[in-house]
Amino acid sequence: MQRVFVTGMGVVSSLGLGHEEFWDAIVHGRTGFSPIEGFGTEGLDRSVAGEVRDFHARDFLSHAEARRMGRCSAFSLAAARMAVQEAALAPSHLKGERTSVIVGTTMGEADVIGELEHAWIHRGADAVRTARMPMYGTTLLPIHLARAFGARGMVQTLPAACAAGNYAIAFAADLIREGRADVVITGASELLQQHQFAGFVRLGAVAPERCQPFDKNRKGIIIGEGSAILVLESEAHAVRRNATALAEVGGSGLACDAHHITRPHPDGEGSLRAMREAIARSGVSADDIDFVNAHGTGTQANDKIESQVIGEVFGGRDIPVSSLKSMLGHCMGAASALEAVSCVMTVQTGVFPPTMSYETPDPECDVNLVANRAARGKADIVLNNSLAFGGYDAVVAFARPGVLPEMPRPILQ
Amino acid sequence: MRPLAITGVGLVSPLGVGYGALCQAIADHGRIGSSAFRSRCTVFDPEKIEAPLAAEAWDFDATEYLGKKGLRNFDRLTRFLLVSAKHALEHAGLKLDGEHRVYGGERVGVCSATAYGSLDSITELVEVAELEDPRFLNPNRFPNTVINTAAGYVSIREDLRAPNVTVVDGNCGALDAVLNAETHLHNDRADAFLVGGGEVLSDPLYLAFRKLGALAEEPERYAPGSAEGYGMRLGEGAAYLCVEHDGRATERGARVLGRVVGYGNAFEPPQSEAALVHASPLALERAIAMALDDAGLGPDDLDLVCASMNGLGPFDRAELEALDRSVGPELPVVLPKALIGETFGAGGALGAMWALAAFEGLPVGPLLRGTIAGRPERALVVAVGFYGNASALVLSR
Repeated sequence: MQRVFVTGMGVVSSLGLGHEEFWDAIVHGRTGFSPIEGFGTEGLDRSVAGEVRDFHARDFLSHAEARRMGRCSAFSLAAARMAVQEAALAPSHLKGERTSVIVGTTMGEADVIGELEHAWIHRGADAVRTARMPMYGTTLLPIHLARAFGARGMVQTLPAACAAGNYAIAFAADLIREGRADVVITGASELLQQHQFAGFVRLGAVAPERCQPFDKNRKGIIIGEGSAILVLESEAHAVRRNATALAEVGGSGLACDAHHITRPHPDGEGSLRAMREAIARSGVSADDIDFVNAHGTGTQANDKIESQVIGEVFGGRDIPVSSLKSMLGHCMGAASALEAVSCVMTVQTGVFPPTMSYETPDPECDVNLVANRAARGKADIVLNNSLAFGGYDAVVAFARPGVLPEMPRPILQ
Repeated sequence: MRPLAITGVGLVSPLGVGYGALCQAIADHGRIGSSAFRSRCTVFDPEKIEAPLAAEAWDFDATEYLGKKGLRNFDRLTRFLLVSAKHALEHAGLKLDGEHRVYGGERVGVCSATAYGSLDSITELVEVAELEDPRFLNPNRFPNTVINTAAGYVSIREDLRAPNVTVVDGNCGALDAVLNAETHLHNDRADAFLVGGGEVLSDPLYLAFRKLGALAEEPERYAPGSAEGYGMRLGEGAAYLCVEHDGRATERGARVLGRVVGYGNAFEPPQSEAALVHASPLALERAIAMALDDAGLGPDDLDLVCASMNGLGPFDRAELEALDRSVGPELPVVLPKALIGETFGAGGALGAMWALAAFEGLPVGPLLRGTIAGRPERALVVAVGFYGNASALVLSR
């Protein structure tokens, strides 16, 4: 089976554009939270988010591209251009049927639909701009990218709630292993949108100012937005063009709790299976894992159950654990893609990102947290956890190139 | 691809609920004509949509199949998917009286497509937030605005704990869902999958396509595949096919309704930089070639095409051109959307029912061209997206 490598990464986030800025902010423990500027939050009692500022689509997109796509697609294309540039992929490498694009999201072009609905509700059908309507299609996220790079292979959007990034990356890697593509441009994108923000506030899930994963006094999520796109390549393709492998994509575990649409399974049933599967499919054992990038949303339920699951998977071993959401907020569908970028950086640098705003240990969250300050350590194989609403559990392993054994073949019937 | 056995089907359609009901309607097509399209739709708000003409899932009542309990917060799409899933699992013999009978719940997954899935729930959310107050948003209904929630409820209600994947690829989604399932089955992430999709009619959906001038709203003027290109009509529905490894299905003595043996997908960009919507014969041609290659078959091995044609002139012409070049003008072409309209994310899965009905030996129609002699052995199901995307699936008896 083909090995799959990450050869390029691009980021649009509240912590900066490009993975260098993003990673610099992370290792220094900067947070991307501020009062929301994009829309009013009157009466909601919550007003802070990880909003992307200073993003100008035209810095990355042609005039025609900027005109034909919404902000979510613009995030994706900007991140994809950065990723392709880092991968040093010439246009000739991407053109054609062997390049696919798989993008995850939760709500896609939420701004476009918000604008259309707003016009319709307040001013009637005649006020709805016809030219904007086709831009809503969630289908378009990967199609805009395929057009930009001349990719002619499969295009697909995979909405999997807040595990969408990992779902996309896992499926993209499987497509390459199955020989259905040489290169897959993959990742996920999400917008902060007015009504979705209100919805999460109404769910009682949003914290007032800070996100404090695994802290005893954690008060919930801070919503974020952004995009991370990775270039995945088959080993043969990467070797042929002499590419630099940033990390190997290891095994992935996908499972569904089938328990509740917003609450995790009380025993973390699906999460446990997904973590164990990702480890087994990487051809290693739990003892070989060096770090866990936790889903760590900062909600009471998630952090408690996730701690329990991590304890069970690693048999009480003090494996370093951290949650980027303390700095980045919860970028929904894009979260695990952004965290995948951070995992690759951890594998490259041996630096574990800190979990900021950690003050009071919680006996129910008994994990070896990288608290408030980045740490260093062996980082050959790391796990990226994504344990989303709806019980969508997706865990992906990333490894330093050359570390993983040959992946075990699946049992074929 | 390694063949997948289709061992059960569950569906909701404008022509009835359940595989048997739709097969019967397909066989009766000559008599019922276009009666699935009526103007007295109940799903639209008459104050918002004047005189619609669409194929609603008439008289659909989820409580008939699911009981009355626990449905309050489910939107229409969720109800369609729940009924389809329950029927497909029972039809395949995987579940009986709510219990898993063949594989454990952790070995059965869902790959579900939709194009505009949560539009009605999003509208509901926006209306409350903008016309009333965001503080009045119902937290129990808010999750419905997330695209994959409907399929998520399928896993929860049916206790399906293998991967649950929602796929969006416009009209091609339900066929693409099959590749997702095949990949996950091959990687031993499950023993069986429900694959297919669902789509529901809603005010914003109807209004959008009406404003785009895409709808065929005059009573006698709707003819997918014809030169007139009157436009399309909207339908709704959902369908799940229960797929398993062929060997495993045979081993357990399951009744096999058909097999999936090949899949292809391609994308072609438009020539014009400014264009977004785009009909590409080349994309479909490549998808068909890939699907046939995947199946190890040639065009001569096919007996039937289940078309994607929906009455939109440029798209129908592109599809015909691709079919002529890929499989030749002789092969019989059946038009599922002439009977049930465009159902987007559900289209490929509902279209596949025409192939399964033909495998059963039923007289399927309406045919755009050709005649079906004997019982077809193999069928090509195609889907053409609005943005230059296309997919194809080869099914075998």
